[in-house]
Amino acid sequence: MSRQTRRLWVIINYLSIIFLLSFFYTGKYLNWTVFVFIGEAASLLLFVFSFIKGFIKTHLWRMSHTSTKNLDERQLQVLLNSLKYSYTIFTIITLIIIYGFAVAELGPIDVVIAGCLLYVSHTLPAAIIGWKEKVI
Amino acid sequence: MYYICSMRSRKMYNRVAILRQEKGMSRKELAEKIGVNFQTVGYLEREEYNPSLDLAFRISENFGLPIEFIFSTEPLKPLIEEIIHLKNKLGEL
Repeated sequence: MSRQTRRLWVIINYLSIIFLLSFFYTGKYLNWTVFVFIGEAASLLLFVFSFIKGFIKTHLWRMSHTSTKNLDERQLQVLLNSLKYSYTIFTIITLIIIYGFAVAELGPIDVVIAGCLLYVSHTLPAAIIGWKEKVI
Repeated sequence: MYYICSMRSRKMYNRVAILRQEKGMSRKELAEKIGVNFQTVGYLEREEYNPSLDLAFRISENFGLPIEFIFSTEPLKPLIEEIIHLKNKLGEL
């Protein structure tokens, strides 16, 4: 899979999370209409499909979750670099969400957003590797 | 006090690709012998990755050649030119 295609699947995957959250909160705070329900289901399908295409089939998930003993020096260097970037990006995302909730007086973040953040924290190093590296 | 020193790594040139081809080895075979992923051999051959000293020694041991014959910080001459140069040098001695 080319780097461009990998990047595309990563973007689709993270966009699907935004769609999932948007439809979920529309349903929760407004109304669970048929349109919202179909949108939520479609987003979920897109999320699963893009995860398989972008992270599983490309072996990105395996590379970022395997023991460091199974990686050679270049792969280790790539992984450490991606962890450095993902730490910064994840901190910024989390702080924006927490401060956003505080400013908008929405209370503490709920379990759905916490779950999404957990997913992002796990996939971000793999996404960065997929984004930056020519060959995996 | 903590000093920050910015040491930018230099581009490292190598003869890994030509030596591997001369030995009739695939990237996978070389990778197995030197204990890295085969993609890493590709990165080395394209000179997109500078190996550690340990890996450079493992490569030189695998080819049975001195390390300076395989790696250089300056663009490497074709092998035949290098051999002629070495022969002339030995002749002078």
